[in-house]
Formats: sequence, C-alpha cells, structure tokens
Amino acid sequence: MIKHVGVVGAGTMGAGIALAAARSGLDVILYDVNDTVLRQALERIKTDLKQGVAKGKVPADEVSSIVTRIHPRTNLSDFHACELVVEAIIEDLRVKKDLFKHLETHTKTSTVLATNTSSLSVTAITSVLRKPERGIGLHFFNPAHIMKLVEIVRTRATSESTVAFARSFLHDIGKQPVLVRDTPGFIVNRVARPFYGEALRLLGEQVATHEQIDRILKQGAGFAMGPFELMDLIGIDVNFAVTQSMYDQFFGEPRYRPHPIQKQMVDAGRLGKKTGAGFYTYNDNTK
Amino acid sequence: MAPSASKTSTVKKKAAVYITGESPLVEEYAELGSSHGYTVVVQWNEDRKRDTVYRRSAIVPAGTSLALELTNTDLERKKKNLQKLDRALPPTAAIISSSVTVSASEQATWINHRHRLSGCSVLPSFSAGSVIEVAPTVYTPVETMEVVRRFFASLGKTCEFVEDRVGMVLPRVVCQIINEACFALQEGVSTPAELDTAMTLGVNYPHGPIEWAEAIGLRQVEAVLVALQKDLGEDRYRVAPLLRQMAMTGEWWNKKPQEGS
Ligand SMILES: NC(=O)c1ccc[n+]([C@@H]2O[C@H](COP(=O)([O-])OP(=O)(O)OC[C@H]3O[C@@H](n4cnc5c(N)ncnc54)[C@H](O)[C@@H]3O)[C@@H](O)[C@H]2O)c1
Repeated sequence: MIKHVGVVGAGTMGAGIALAAARSGLDVILYDVNDTVLRQALERIKTDLKQGVAKGKVPADEVSSIVTRIHPRTNLSDFHACELVVEAIIEDLRVKKDLFKHLETHTKTSTVLATNTSSLSVTAITSVLRKPERGIGLHFFNPAHIMKLVEIVRTRATSESTVAFARSFLHDIGKQPVLVRDTPGFIVNRVARPFYGEALRLLGEQVATHEQIDRILKQGAGFAMGPFELMDLIGIDVNFAVTQSMYDQFFGEPRYRPHPIQKQMVDAGRLGKKTGAGFYTYNDNTK
Repeated sequence: MAPSASKTSTVKKKAAVYITGESPLVEEYAELGSSHGYTVVVQWNEDRKRDTVYRRSAIVPAGTSLALELTNTDLERKKKNLQKLDRALPPTAAIISSSVTVSASEQATWINHRHRLSGCSVLPSFSAGSVIEVAPTVYTPVETMEVVRRFFASLGKTCEFVEDRVGMVLPRVVCQIINEACFALQEGVSTPAELDTAMTLGVNYPHGPIEWAEAIGLRQVEAVLVALQKDLGEDRYRVAPLLRQMAMTGEWWNKKPQEGS
C-alpha cells in the first residue's frame, strides 16, 4: 500500500483529493504557492469533514487524525518521499508543463507524476518529462472526496507499471477507476457533449422550450437533472469553454460545435446559478 | 371534408385500442394499455408468449376507437399500416403515430383523413416514463390533440406538446449520446463496460450508453440517427460505423479489453 502522496494545488480539486487520500490513512503533502491559500484549504477540508460526520460518513473520533495527516507545504522538495504526486493547479498548459519539469527534479525517479487536467492533453503535459513513462492522468470529479469515479488517462508513453500503480492507489482510497486512452474529453466530458449540444440545438430550432426539454429528459428518460438545469449549475461559461476546447481539439468536428445561444448567454452575463440567472432565474436564497 | 369527419371523439375507458408496429414497442404499449383498462388488439407481434393480456388480429376490429402506429425503422411498412388504419377506422377515431424517424405532418400526407393523426415520441424501453412528447401536424385540430392528451393521461403520462420535427427531443438527445459512445469505442478510447461505468458514476446517467443501446435496440438507434442526418442534412448526425455494423449484424462488438495501445 502506498503511504505518501503529494498534491500540488490546494484549490477545489486539490483539497478534495488530499482529503480522499488522508481519509484512507495516507500521508499527504499538500503544496500551494503560499500559506494563506493552504490555510484556507485546510479550513475547507475541516468543514467538509464536519459535514461528513454530520452525515454519518466519517467517524467523529477520526477527524483530528485525518487532518494531521495532511501536511501543508510551500516547498516542492518536500515531495521527496512521495510515491505519487497529483497535480491540480490552474488549467494552463504552459504552467502545468513548467511544474512537471520541476516535479521531476524534486522527486525520486520511481515516483508517478499525475495530472488532474479536465481538458488539456495529458500527452502534452507529460511530454516535458525525461521519463514520460512516469506520467499519467488521474481525472477526479468534483467534489473529489465524494465522487467515486476517476478516469485513469494513459498516454502512448505511460508504462504498464505506472497504470498498475495508479490502479492500486485508487483502490486504496476507495475510488472506481476507468482506463482511458489520452483523447480529448476522455470519456465523460466527451460522451456528455450531446446532452448539452442537442438540447441547445432543439432550443435554437424552437422544437421545445428549455423547461420542456428538461422535463422530457428527466421524467421521460430518467436523467436526474435536465441539460439546462445542469448548465446553470456548472456555469454556462464553463460549459461553453469545455465545448469550445473539444471542438478545437477535434479540429472542427461538427458534433462538438458550440451553439450561439451559449455565447449569447455568456455575453449577457447570464452564467447560471452563480450569477443568479442563466436559463432559469434564481432568487438570492437559492443561489 | 364534412364537419362531422373533422372531429375525433374521446376514447372511453375499456375502449378498444388497435396497435400496429414493430416489436418490442407493440408489446410495451399493449401491456401498458391492457394494464390501464383498455381492450387491446395488436396487428402483429414477435413475442407470442405475451398473448395472454391482449389479442392478435390482422383485421382492425369493428368498434376500435383509437389506433397506435409504432413503427420507427421500416417506413414503407409504416405507410402501409397507416393507410390500412385510415381505411378501416371510422373518421372519428384518432391515430397516434410514432413520429421519431419521419415527421407526423409527412405521415398525414399519406392518408385521407389527415385531421385524425398526431405524432408522438416512442422508443423501446421508455414506456414507463411519466412524460411523453406529442406533436400535432399542420392538419391536426385541437380536438384531436385533446383526445391524445386524455389517452396518455389515462396511461399515467403527461403530454409535452413539441414541434413536429424528426428525432423529437428524447430520441435525438439519447441516440446522439449513444452515437458518441460508439465513436469513442471505435477509436479505442475505452471498453464498453468502462464507458458505462464512467457515465453512470461520473455524471449520474440513468444508464450507461452501451447498456442503453442494447435496451433500446441498435436498429432503432440507427434509424433515429439516419433520419436526423437526412432531415437536417448535417454530418453531425452521421452514424458511427461500429454502431451501424452492430445494427446490421445483431452481433455485439468485441468486448475484450484492448491489449496495449
Ligand atoms: N473544478 C472541477 O470541477 C474540476 C474537475 C476535474 C478536474 N479539474 C481540474 O483540476 C485542476 C484544478 O482545478 P480547481 O477547480 O481545483 O482549480 P482552483 O482554482 O480551485 O485551484 C487551483 C489551485 O492551484 C494553485 N496554483 C496555481 N498555479 C500554481 C502553481 N504554478 N503551482 C502551485 N499551485 C498553483 C492555486 O493557488 C489554487 O489554489 C484543473 O486542471 C482543472 O481543470 C477541475
């Protein structure tokens, strides 16, 4: 069993991944650019743990030991003992490549280096490694301490032992892995595209209203949420950016073409729940 | 057309409903109708074991007050079925016809009593849904749509009135999700089982796309996509070759995980 894992970036995803690992008894080095960010991350982790206790998912007497297993650090050389480092920093290829170069020099040659990128090429990020067979994608879902699924993304260079190591790590922290070849959108973001894309086209062609489309897909097909409710929740800007990125990465494949309605909503500042209005309007207390 | 001929009459409980179309849709709707108190007669069905809850008859029985036409794949047969129903039924009897792969308005041009026809969205495996899409044609008066609304309400379904467009809402969205999964599979992105796991755990879909394709039937899924591509004239709806191959052969693709990459 793996004992020491490193997490780079203590944002939404990094904090969730650190919590998932610490809950399963692993020691976590949690790195970010400064102490303030790390302090805030630990506060969020404590809040999440409180909720876990309230829901009966986390035994109350384990909370303090879980927290003490998360070690906030601002120096990359603190990763020297880690067998795995998961990167969860901003979604920017240049910044991620730069970080991977540094990670290689601050870790043992046997350490597996993973990226949590959603929409960038794992191949491109890990291509900067002198030993790209160590590189892999571990795509967690938000909130990472709750969602069971993790996409293991292998590049042409990723070695079998790196894949096996990733599998056993995910098993240890109670996640369900699926193995995916490095292609744009992996499985989930790709196969989910038509749910939004066709719904937007149906709306644009005035086949039905957005409320009707949501009702038909929920009560007719069994989806938990309709596409318009879900776009409002995710953020119409975020959903638009993912679609645009898929479209670009597939060099204009028409199945991924974004819809003018998305851009118009973004132009209008109607981004969904977070701005109080998207396809639906939300009053302050439901924001 | 005489005014009396442009009205359809409300369907009473225990009324006789005649169903034409393909399996397993006819069986699904025959059981649904029977369990809600209708006297159901089906023209043809594959699964003879289920004949206990409804009758089979090639002739439209006298006294039939409503007909369902549930063909999505063979449109020549659909046309023949509709013309036969139009000849056999009194003008006051409504016909509710699946309009997933051909618009209801186009279907109405195949028959004489155009006022009686309404489109609806049916695909195998969705008959338990509590909402159903229905589409009036350019000829359908409100009276016919009221008959349709009450009929589905009696089956426990709320109608959503949508525009009469090929693919409608549910079939277009669900079949494109399946198509995308088949493209991914064909490109060796992952395995069928992992595609299903990813979509049910990652985004909480009610079924994984591959499992869904099997439940709906690949020929049905293919028919929806082919109709969309023809109607909209766009590459976006082209069928994944792997999906088409499966629909033609009925053989599931190689489920063995890829060795290496
Ligand atoms: N939010 C999601 O739903 C989600 C889901 C799956 C994957 N992802 C991916 O996870 C990654 C992180 O996303 P997030 O939502 O947690 O972002 P976030 O903005 O919440 O957190 C990013 C963190 O990285 C830190 N950071 C930025 N540059 C850094 C650097 N050079 N070195 C060290 N730390 C740095 C920031 O200080 C911040 O704390 C992205 O690649 C994103 O695509 C996000």
